[in-house]
Amino acid sequence: MIGQKNYYTDLFSIDVPQMERLVGEALSGGGDYADLYFENTAFRDLYLRDGVVSSGGYHIDYGVGIRTLVGEKTGYAYTESTDMKAMLSAAQAAAAISPGIFIPSDKPTVAFKGSPNPSADRYPVERDWREWDTAEGAAFLGRLDKMIRARDSRVVKVIGMISCQMSDIMMFNSRGELKYDTRPMGTVAVSLVMGSGDKVRNNHVSRSYRIGAEMLTDALAEEMAGEALRNIDDRFEAKRPEKGGAMSVVMGAGASGILLHEAMGHAFEADFNRKGQSVFSDRMGSRICAGGINIVDDGTIRGNRGALNFDDEGVPGQKTYMVEDGVLASYLHDRISASWYGVRPTGNGRRESFRYNPVPRMRATYMEGGNSTPEEIISSVKKGIYVDEFANGQVKIGEGDFTFYVKSGYMIENGRLGRPVCDLNIIGNGPKALADIVAVGNDARIDDGAWTCGKEQNVPVSCGIPTVRVENLIVGGEN
Amino acid sequence: MIPWSITPEEAGIMKWSIETALGMGASQVRATLNKSMMDLVQMRDGEVDKVSHSGDRSLTLNIYADNRYGTFSVNRLDKEHLKDFIARSISIVRLLGEDRFRKLAPPQRKIGCATTGLELGLYDSGYGNMTPQRRREIAADACGAPGRSADGWKVISEELEYSDSIYDMMIMDSEGLECRHTESSFEIGCETTIADSEGNRLSGFWWDSQSFLSRLDTLGCSRKALERAVAQIGPKAFGSCRTNMIVENEVASKLVNPLISALNAFSLQQGNSFLKDTLGKKVFSDGLSITDMPLEQGANGARLFDSEGVAAAVRPIIENGTVKTYFVNTYMSGKMGLEPTLEDAIRPVVGSHGPWKDTSEMMAGLGEGILVTGFNGGNSNAATGDFSYGVEGFAFRGGKIVHPVREMVITGNFMELWNNLAGIGCDARTCMSKIIPSLAFTNVDFSA
Repeated sequence: MIGQKNYYTDLFSIDVPQMERLVGEALSGGGDYADLYFENTAFRDLYLRDGVVSSGGYHIDYGVGIRTLVGEKTGYAYTESTDMKAMLSAAQAAAAISPGIFIPSDKPTVAFKGSPNPSADRYPVERDWREWDTAEGAAFLGRLDKMIRARDSRVVKVIGMISCQMSDIMMFNSRGELKYDTRPMGTVAVSLVMGSGDKVRNNHVSRSYRIGAEMLTDALAEEMAGEALRNIDDRFEAKRPEKGGAMSVVMGAGASGILLHEAMGHAFEADFNRKGQSVFSDRMGSRICAGGINIVDDGTIRGNRGALNFDDEGVPGQKTYMVEDGVLASYLHDRISASWYGVRPTGNGRRESFRYNPVPRMRATYMEGGNSTPEEIISSVKKGIYVDEFANGQVKIGEGDFTFYVKSGYMIENGRLGRPVCDLNIIGNGPKALADIVAVGNDARIDDGAWTCGKEQNVPVSCGIPTVRVENLIVGGEN
Repeated sequence: MIPWSITPEEAGIMKWSIETALGMGASQVRATLNKSMMDLVQMRDGEVDKVSHSGDRSLTLNIYADNRYGTFSVNRLDKEHLKDFIARSISIVRLLGEDRFRKLAPPQRKIGCATTGLELGLYDSGYGNMTPQRRREIAADACGAPGRSADGWKVISEELEYSDSIYDMMIMDSEGLECRHTESSFEIGCETTIADSEGNRLSGFWWDSQSFLSRLDTLGCSRKALERAVAQIGPKAFGSCRTNMIVENEVASKLVNPLISALNAFSLQQGNSFLKDTLGKKVFSDGLSITDMPLEQGANGARLFDSEGVAAAVRPIIENGTVKTYFVNTYMSGKMGLEPTLEDAIRPVVGSHGPWKDTSEMMAGLGEGILVTGFNGGNSNAATGDFSYGVEGFAFRGGKIVHPVREMVITGNFMELWNNLAGIGCDARTCMSKIIPSLAFTNVDFSA
């Protein structure tokens, strides 16, 4: 959603000459580059508990971040006021990184000229969240609650949540590029507690999109209610694997994309590689997994939680192949790392808000489909585990050790799904896991859950994968 | 004058906001103003890599109207903008469902002696003298590892960060509450990445945080981060087994936090707590005692009141294995019919138990097992207490470390784990707001 230029300049009470003065101040001690990031975010939330939508809120966050770059070094400051005096003071604080003399850069610069193009807008908004009615949200949550309770008498508690935000963003930099954007985000989440005898089980389901309030349909509520209670009988029977240790793991399509996010995506972020910290720092152009495997980070999927018209440095959103036919093809770059490597930025410079300087971050990270059917992959495993619901993950960049937490799955015995399993952690090593991918399904799917990446700052992302078989991951179990 | 502290004009805006909301139909209002300022210097390989300066100010209004309730926050505090914001907030509240238990805490439970914010002695008067140059000097002096190497390893990068900040918070409500908390903070953290002789990268991290600069261990951080990275060279496989586990004080909160979360009334009311119906019951080992000690002068994490303005007090949480406290705020008290306490533990202190002071004595006492020095992901199920975490650390045998281990997973249930408690040291790090010494357990499931 892209408004007219005047909407943004009026909102932030500033004009282009004033912005030029601010970047000039940020570079007054020398440096290569300076930029301004204006933000006005209106955020709303509603909660249903015990059958009643009895709490909610409305929040406004407004301010501007100012950055000065001297080579790879960063000076950063922000102010919650767009009063010129406050912004000049912030610009001077950012300029403190400067050496005090002007050092012209010897690196080629990449300029992204031109005005934003509304026809290329990746955030389809039919109904603006700012005009959305609280009562409508309350009614939606009430219907969702009733749908879930009507489907299964074992449901004890339901917590429903809607959050929505509209962020007006304006960016200006020392190369004269002016970009503006209005980013929507709508999220619905539901948490359940279910009881049967002395057994208690819980579940959590969410959907999140960069679209407008038109997302709140009965079809969405039906989909989420179904997802929340999917395989409910198996959940009550689920246990830990009887014996943990290294085994074959078949990752179900969709949310298993967390494997790519943790095991590979972070290690491909160029800041870690520029500093020599990543396990992939010296492997650009090398084969890192089997031929035919393509791993992508994509900001161009319309309405996706990770979609971006522009990243938070004003670089156009792009689709980036990190692994192409099994070969490491690109890191994920912000302007700093792109300049350092002498390549074009990939549109991955992202930040949580004006309070943070941008760093390379993922958008929608997924693996493209292969040739096998999911059934063929499962039937190829003699003993292993099939996993399809996840809670969270983590990675150690240097070592490449990653983990992800499995909410539910099944044992595989002699090529068939066996008894259900739950609440177990899986751990592996990124490069080893990539090399140990032995089968890729033809059912690639992106998960639309409310995934949030927490590398220093929180940013919305999404992930996806086809059904994939990985050898030798360590599965937590009883011994 | 404390830099960036709440001014009388800002306190006046809080009062004006409360009166404006009442005038628009609210029955009760609580206003919380948070202000903070932070300066940071980040070093990479001995050179300044980033400097930043930030100042934050936000007003949160908890509005009660017609037995309805909402939470609203804004960082634009001019009255013209605020008036529109409050009007919109009240209109949203009125569209929410009724909930008769939503109300302010009763006056007799609220704090009456926190007027200056300085009562707990958490503000370093030297904070106002900090300069950009002084910050750079502290950060530069703290760097120790750039370029270092030895037989079998070399430093790839050292990233060190020094920051100082001021935090000032004031709460007022429509029934006359006015309380304040002010503290300064000085922090340092260092992450060192090394490559071993085979090119494998290993990283180590160490940090410190204090309210007073003089207490901050600025010079030891780099050394400890490097030591922790080097110690991981040469990990060996350790088969799946049940064995003893020692958890270092630095990371022991991973196993204590889920217990405290499970005692929160919100989780209990939702049936999403494995400690439901345990109040007054002995459900853990005799050795486990946790006490909330929020009133310690000058201690990290100390507070005189919670976010409702309710006065904090010393109270047992778990005593000799018996659950003594559920954390019940005013709302959940009405809803569940329980006596209110605090909304959450403020500064839980885990008491020592057994003969061992620290991890060395624990290893000597237990003989063999795994010393856990880091967790890598994982999670727990709040409803059942089942957990599964990635861990790394060291195998020990004959009371001594024999080699590093990684890519391991521990799996179990918190009730069982805490009943297998073998000892609690007396080596808690005081830089944390939760005071938790090293922990020792028997019979823990490791998968590798």
